Amino acid sequence: MSLEEPQPESTYVTDERVDYDALESLLGAHVLGRETHLNAEAFVIRPDEVQDVLTLLRDEAGFDYLSCVTAQEYEDRYESIYHLKKYADPTQEVGVVVPVPRDDPVSETATPVYKTAGWHEREAYDLVGIEYEGHPDLRRILLPETWQGHPLGLDYDQDKPQIVPYREHVNPIEGDYRDADSDTMFLNIGPHHPATHGVLHLKTVLDGEQVVDVDPDIGYLHRCEEQMCQSSTYRHQIMPYPDRWDYAPGGLMNEWAYARAVEDLADIEVPEYAQVIRTMGAELCRMCSHMLALGTFCLDIYGDFTAIFMYAMRDREKIQSILEDLTGQRMMFNYLRLGGVAWDLPEPREEFFEKTRDFLEDLPVATQEYHDLITSNEIFQIRTVGTGVLPPEAAKQYGATGPVVRASGVDYDVRRDDPYGYYDELDWEVAVEHGCDNYSRLLVRMREVEQSAKIVEQCIDLLEEWPEDEREIQSNVPRTLKPDPDTEVYRAVEAAKGELGIYMRSDGTAKPARFKIRSPCFSNLSTLGEMAEGEYVADLIASLGSLDIILGEVDR
Amino acid sequence: MNPAPLDAVLLPETIADLTGLGQFGILGDLIAAFVAAFFVGNLMLAMTGVAGPWAKRKITAAFTDRIAVDRVGPFGLLIIVASSVQLLAKELIIPEHVDRPAYDLAPIVIASSAMLGFAVIPMGSGIHLADPEVGLVFVFAIASIASVGLVMAGYASNNKFSMLGGLRAVAQNIAYEIPLIVTGASVVIFAGTLQMSGIVEAQQQALFTVAGIGIPAWFAIVNPFAFVLFVAANMAEIGRNPFDTPEAPTEIVAGYQTEYSSVYFVLIYLGEFLHIFLGAAIITTIFLGGPSGPVLPGIVWFIIKIWAFFLFTQWLRSALPRVRIDQMIEIGWKGMLVLSFANLILTAVIVGVFVA
Repeated sequence: MSLEEPQPESTYVTDERVDYDALESLLGAHVLGRETHLNAEAFVIRPDEVQDVLTLLRDEAGFDYLSCVTAQEYEDRYESIYHLKKYADPTQEVGVVVPVPRDDPVSETATPVYKTAGWHEREAYDLVGIEYEGHPDLRRILLPETWQGHPLGLDYDQDKPQIVPYREHVNPIEGDYRDADSDTMFLNIGPHHPATHGVLHLKTVLDGEQVVDVDPDIGYLHRCEEQMCQSSTYRHQIMPYPDRWDYAPGGLMNEWAYARAVEDLADIEVPEYAQVIRTMGAELCRMCSHMLALGTFCLDIYGDFTAIFMYAMRDREKIQSILEDLTGQRMMFNYLRLGGVAWDLPEPREEFFEKTRDFLEDLPVATQEYHDLITSNEIFQIRTVGTGVLPPEAAKQYGATGPVVRASGVDYDVRRDDPYGYYDELDWEVAVEHGCDNYSRLLVRMREVEQSAKIVEQCIDLLEEWPEDEREIQSNVPRTLKPDPDTEVYRAVEAAKGELGIYMRSDGTAKPARFKIRSPCFSNLSTLGEMAEGEYVADLIASLGSLDIILGEVDR
Repeated sequence: MNPAPLDAVLLPETIADLTGLGQFGILGDLIAAFVAAFFVGNLMLAMTGVAGPWAKRKITAAFTDRIAVDRVGPFGLLIIVASSVQLLAKELIIPEHVDRPAYDLAPIVIASSAMLGFAVIPMGSGIHLADPEVGLVFVFAIASIASVGLVMAGYASNNKFSMLGGLRAVAQNIAYEIPLIVTGASVVIFAGTLQMSGIVEAQQQALFTVAGIGIPAWFAIVNPFAFVLFVAANMAEIGRNPFDTPEAPTEIVAGYQTEYSSVYFVLIYLGEFLHIFLGAAIITTIFLGGPSGPVLPGIVWFIIKIWAFFLFTQWLRSALPRVRIDQMIEIGWKGMLVLSFANLILTAVIVGVFVA
């Protein structure tokens, strides 16, 4: 769908849909069987042929985007699922299922084919316990190195105390050796550091002021979100959790990710009126989130509390107030319901519309102020233009999405390419920049705020005109939701940080058997090394700020 | 161009005469000098240590759309007391393996070096402690001692962020001290003297008259190019935005002051404020006509001028990004140095051809 790169005629696509039979013949003897997931067909392959199959799919069939790796344990086997998509058209999907026996859970790594698999497989190893042969760095990623057992495995004993003597803990200062021959310095940036936007630990090796190596150490904010969702019921109990992933606040977008996945899984219709409210709420959240990103990014470049940060917070506050009117909450909205939203627009409606319109009218003035203060400032430009460069190929390899990938010139936005909600009915554009640097990432966010304002404005008009008797906010959903057993779905929405995907497998009960969150920040953060190595430490901080990560979503 | 022999009375002499201490010979002079120094020192401390932090909060808040302190006392003025108690009562944490004498001395060196500089600044209304013939050189030399304190703090703290901050501070001070002094030298060419009172004296006559108002021959007006250069170099010297790389709070935590707490932190902070005000005092003296001004007494004009510069630094701090360390060094060596020498040579030629 990208305008810049016309799709080469592929034999594996007919009428913009993946031709799975052609793919099967491409893979030939590699295929052991086929599964049908709700989002796409999946091929079952042998654990020692992962790289061959993925290379074929990437190079021959054009699946250049490894969106997510899901690992799960069954009674008789472990399974890794590689969810493949195309940046050019994310509706073209295919799954690759790799079962391994329970007594010998070893599977070939996909890291040489997709770099993003590096972190995803580490997570699978950490939480589920599958070992990936040939993985360059198979360490735990979310839990501490000394953790016993794999918490999402079936025979994991939750009550077993994790007693680790102090001396066995990884000593973060261990790298602090004084080697006479060494020219480099090991530096711990974080977990307590003013620029890590949460609790992030960057193990950095410096040569003078230049970064030689950076290894993000995450997991400080791991709150077992997947496990909590797996022990909650679809209908009501899961919905509050997504608010806590990206609390910037990306709340409504996160909730939508869950809602979209379940609505597909259980085949629930959503009334159009509710879709418009959802679209409006999500775009308000996106603006909120981008304002915060802009403010904190400027903190990293300006230092301390500057005018920009306060101005950004001021404008964000206006949106928060609108969201508060709509949902009753400022951060943890819990406003979406399966099949709709929790309640209608606040009464009196005119007041709500007027308040939102006032904000939208003031927004261009504020945006101009930001451009005067930030983007047209020469010092800001020498700091950000050409620093933290992420070439488009590297961005795709690491599975980057959202403003990060759009600033690298990849025209990819789930809202347009895989439409949901009311987006395809509205008039708006995807913001793409080709600079690949910190400056472009900021520009993309600023342009996205403008586009979001455009969407909200159209939604407001629609909501105002909506016929009184068709204001249906929720469809009829069974009190207890039990999707058919053994249905699997992977669905994504465009959250503020990028593609937020949910994989769910039902086992016929009211709770999901596997709930996997594909966090955009997780994949985006893995590009940091690519951007920062060889640059100055100041640019490492700036690049980290430009990624706009929320550690709550990285660590889940 | 040769200023008249200076017969301005210095503050120690005034005190000696008023109290009759002068008749006790050298001992009396010494006591008078101490009293005078005590007075000037406290005046500066009252401005930097007491009014400074409060004003800084209020000024920054005004720039950034906030209200800032307003709970304790009128306009939040009593926050000064509360903050002092809070800061002084905090535990002084000294990390393991710090290099002890250097670690303890650094805050004192940073704070005291700036205090010494005020000795030669003419503040008007007879408040002037000493007026050596090499006053300008003395004040530059004293201000540079702070770099030693920064290195001591950075090295002795046994912390990598401190180390980086200390290295940055030195690199920055060397890169900007030379343009600073060379630009200062261009003023000396105009004034024909290094003596502070002589430099102020040289700025007193009217340069030209606009609508009956005499525009004074302040060197900022005579040579605005040198003024801008000097102010920019001075921003780097005192380490404020856009040149606050030695501290760079979001990059290297707090640079050389990362490991300092309680009283030591107060001293370092005070030292920084004193350096801003010392920078302001130097600029006031050599570019803004020192304490001269209509109607109001000299000391009031002097205070207005240094606070105006302080306001200017806070404005930049709220609005300007920070340059990267390599860019900052590049600007210093490749830009400022060349410009400052160009300015010096041009000034020398102009003064040599037209004035002499």
